[in-house]
Amino acid sequence: MQFATIANLAANTANKAVIDWKGFIVVAVVTLVGAGFVVLMYSLGVRLTAISSDHAARAHTTAKWGAWTCFGLCGLAVAIGIILIVPLFYKTVMGWFGVTA
Amino acid sequence: MVVLVIALALFFDFTNGFHDTANAMATPIATGAIKPKTAVALAAILNLVGAFLSTEVAKTISGGIINEGPGGVAITPEMIFAGLMGAVLWNLFTWLLGLPSSSSHALFGGLIGAAIVGTWSFGAVNFLVVLSKVIFPALLAPAVAGGVAYLCTKMAYGITRRSDPDSGDKLTQKRRGFKHGQVFSSSLVALAHGTNDAQKTMGVITLVLIASQLQAPGTGPHIWVITACAVAIAGGTYAGGWRIIRTLGSGLTDVKPAQGFAAETSTAVAILASSHLGFALSTTHVASGSVIGSGLGRKGSTVRWGAIGKISLGWLFTLPAAAVVGGLAALLIRTGTVGIVIVAVLGLGAILVMFYLSQREVVDHSNAISDVDAVGEALHIPSRKERDRLAAKARAAEKLAEKAARRAAETAALRAKAQAALDQADTAVLKAMTKAAAAADAPKPRKKQTSKKGK
Repeated sequence: MQFATIANLAANTANKAVIDWKGFIVVAVVTLVGAGFVVLMYSLGVRLTAISSDHAARAHTTAKWGAWTCFGLCGLAVAIGIILIVPLFYKTVMGWFGVTA
Repeated sequence: MVVLVIALALFFDFTNGFHDTANAMATPIATGAIKPKTAVALAAILNLVGAFLSTEVAKTISGGIINEGPGGVAITPEMIFAGLMGAVLWNLFTWLLGLPSSSSHALFGGLIGAAIVGTWSFGAVNFLVVLSKVIFPALLAPAVAGGVAYLCTKMAYGITRRSDPDSGDKLTQKRRGFKHGQVFSSSLVALAHGTNDAQKTMGVITLVLIASQLQAPGTGPHIWVITACAVAIAGGTYAGGWRIIRTLGSGLTDVKPAQGFAAETSTAVAILASSHLGFALSTTHVASGSVIGSGLGRKGSTVRWGAIGKISLGWLFTLPAAAVVGGLAALLIRTGTVGIVIVAVLGLGAILVMFYLSQREVVDHSNAISDVDAVGEALHIPSRKERDRLAAKARAAEKLAEKAARRAAETAALRAKAQAALDQADTAVLKAMTKAAAAADAPKPRKKQTSKKGK
């Protein structure tokens, strides 16, 4: 490597953030919250299904509805995530609420 | 020349899809959640859709890593051709050997090598951008995904654990319900793969167009580029899927539905989030990180550090190795048109040879259904039987210890009894002695002896 390039590199490091820490933290937090929420809801749903099928004699209506609510929330979370990512969907959905981006 | 580069780029995209189908779809097929044909078709379609969703990663690649435009070096389509050749060859080579490697790193490596050799200066590569947009995400994203997968697996198992409060018996847990969830989570992984990996090829094609002054620097990829890349990766995914189906008969790493669900969800979210921010990370690495993390989250698992070391060595080597191949190709191309022809012919020959070799080779469990599956081997998760056996061993050891303790207690008691008897005997002797002293003198020592013997 020539001296000039080394000097250039050094000069660049001084005034530029080398690593996008903010972006990294955003990714970490989004991953934790997103995956955590989806897994939490799905696990609750699975547990409630298990409860509702415990006693064949008595129908556990509440548990069953709870399970489906959990699955629904899980799906909703995924849908919201995708809408946030895709610019086209984002604009459309924001349009429904009267917000123009 | 531009057409040749674009064709090679699309071929790279194809190999990428080919390489990575298994990452997303191996587990749901293995647990029987979806039929193989449906799974492969689903993965292909979702890759196609994913490619259209976001172009952030493509922008990262086409602008930044190599100093193009005013003030930078002149990147020629020839250099990109050399770089792509390096990437494709390394990709196929690792696939042939069953080594886990990242298509993305192969691509970056090839481009970097070709750019350095092509211009004879290190100034051609923006190392800071490489560091911040390639190396760091490559290290951190799997760590994040792995950590989250660990927590999620713990949570999924914790929530669904049920036992009767009175008897302590296990109740139905319905953990197989996660099987259906896996259909969705693995679809998300396929989608995420499309948003990140198809972008890389788009970025390269855009780079070529910019380099040959067909497109203004700093603009995003054209719509026909996006479409072509999406189709190429979907085609590769579909073609690659058939290999998995063939492999299915021979058994897979033991991944339970709940664990797979947690791992896949974390993978998908991590990749989607970083795609949105324009981090070009390797889906293979992230998925591997998740698999390891979720494996650790299961009860009684241990890590085989040796296997992990081997895998990370493969990861480390990918970038420099592809850079060397790319550099060599660039060196040949420097000689002129003849060089280009030589590189093209050599590359094509190598590709054909490898393809021929791969056809000849029997696809089985040993050459790994997927890179992620290979990573799964790095963890030792005891199966139920193993856990039972361990517990039995522990119980046996406990019993042994108990027996030893009992024996020790018995001996101690015996000794104490003996001591007591001895004392008694002594007192008896003393009594006898006093009595004898009172009566007569002669039988004193004999009496003592007999009393000792009697004890």
